[in-house]
Amino acid sequence: MTRIHIRSLSALALLLGVASAQGTTTVRLGYFPNLTHAPALIGLERGTFQRALGKVKLDARSFVSGTTLTEAFAAGQIDLAYIGPGPAINAATRGMPLQIIAGASEAGAVLMARGDSGIRTHADLAGKRVAVPSLGNTQDISLRHLLKEEGLRPQTDGGTVTITPVAPADIAAAFAGKRVDAALVPEPWGALLQAHGHRLIGSEKTVWRGGRYPTTLVIVNTRFAQANPALVANFLKAHADAVAYLNKNPAAARTLINAQLDKLTGQKIDLRVLQRAMTRTRFTTALDLDALTEYAALNVEAGYARSVPDLRSFVRLGTTR
Amino acid sequence: MSVPAPRTDPVPVSPRAPRWRVLSWQLLGLLLLLGVWHLVTAVLKLYPPYVFPSPAQVWTEISYGLWGTGPQDGKLLSAIVGSLRRVLTGYAIAVALGVLVGLLMGAWRPLRATLGAYLTGIQSVPSIAFVPFAILFFGLNERAVLFVVILEGFIPVALAVSGALLNVPPALRVAGRTLGARGLSLTTGVLLPAALPNVLTGLRTAWSFAWRALVGGELLISGVASIGEQLEVGRATANVALVLASILIIGLIGGVFDAGLRALEGRVRRDYGLEVTP
Repeated sequence: MTRIHIRSLSALALLLGVASAQGTTTVRLGYFPNLTHAPALIGLERGTFQRALGKVKLDARSFVSGTTLTEAFAAGQIDLAYIGPGPAINAATRGMPLQIIAGASEAGAVLMARGDSGIRTHADLAGKRVAVPSLGNTQDISLRHLLKEEGLRPQTDGGTVTITPVAPADIAAAFAGKRVDAALVPEPWGALLQAHGHRLIGSEKTVWRGGRYPTTLVIVNTRFAQANPALVANFLKAHADAVAYLNKNPAAARTLINAQLDKLTGQKIDLRVLQRAMTRTRFTTALDLDALTEYAALNVEAGYARSVPDLRSFVRLGTTR
Repeated sequence: MSVPAPRTDPVPVSPRAPRWRVLSWQLLGLLLLLGVWHLVTAVLKLYPPYVFPSPAQVWTEISYGLWGTGPQDGKLLSAIVGSLRRVLTGYAIAVALGVLVGLLMGAWRPLRATLGAYLTGIQSVPSIAFVPFAILFFGLNERAVLFVVILEGFIPVALAVSGALLNVPPALRVAGRTLGARGLSLTTGVLLPAALPNVLTGLRTAWSFAWRALVGGELLISGVASIGEQLEVGRATANVALVLASILIIGLIGGVFDAGLRALEGRVRRDYGLEVTP
């Protein structure tokens, strides 16, 4: 009901937006139903995002992974988004008008193996089927690097490991049906799989860089940012506020996150599971540019790009301060 | 009794257009298409490159993918090899199975009335609709794709074979019997050769069905080197040039095989006196 309501409203807003070039009437926000996107979930559940935008209508849309979000972004249907560094870097490399304006979360991705798969170490992944949220996304690039460090290669590069895209919320079902043997997933889906009796074989720290890596960023459409600097600044304040709330009141935050996840995925997650997932994720508005650059290099290593772009040209931090 | 009918020279249907002229028309059309594409994307820049890349950008992807020498290059080539191996395996099984089932349906009426009707129904279901079902049975792997390819390829062959057997002129059947052909030898020695032109049409339909089913299945089941996966990778990494390159390759391979089968079919039809073309 609400979704239809929001959609028709946004369609109306879109029409109005076309009719009057001045004054944006809607801000279209993209995000995923993951704990790593918790600042978005908190801002939406507390209503702080809408308050920050004042009279301008907030149209929040959830996506399964960066791939589908990037498509919507390319089609000009997203103004602001929470997204992983992989898709953000790819999109910017292809010339999409985007700026990275803040960090949102770090770490928070774990490597899980199906309980009965017999996988105990990274090396055991040889000959197995490993799920990632989507090809070319942040976890996929991490997985390919992790395999390389282990001396393994994906099947498409002549190796033995098969990498399969599965939506994080569907991995529990894919494990139950034995369709995949392991998965590199963002939280809370890792902790949830663990609660189902599956095995953690790579913590958020062993996945990459000792856990010091950005997992979620905030991006904005460059043209939107130029036309609406005040809106973007206000949104960023609300984003910083959500991050602060997460760090100050984790227990209250968990309840709010759970409410959003339930709405978006239909799965109610045990609060203790969410607590464990939160210990593996850091929320911050800061962005580690070095890590991001290394990430772009891994993207090249994975074969998704041919050169490391100059990240400074599309990272515009500082609006938060 | 055996006075041969006087040979009449076949009258050409249309004035014979020289082959080089047809080729030059085709080439001109291609150049025109490329020119418009280049104009719209690279000169007028009506679309941003991440929505509609220029021919040059697509060519770059093709050249990296087919004969690039970097550590991550050459993926299109291995994808083509993987997809061709998969479709040819599936197609071979589909043809063998289709001929067998077609023969049984041609020979036994109750089977034709039941299975034949069901197969016609199944044929109208888009192949991609079977993929989720195949995944449940075979898992997220190549076998699920192969299942769909075989299913899609086998139906047109089976229907063509059983239909062609029914359309064999009764005179040939009687003549075969008179000359001593019975049972299996009548089928393999008289009926199948007589049905060949129609069977070939079925083989060509089966090819295009199998090829489409393959690409559709590969899109859903990634992880193995395939053209479908390249398309998905292009989509996932906002690399529209790779998406277009994959589409071009899919069309080209499908077209080349279809042309080959069409040539074979035309030749057989001419040999059987079913067509008079110069």
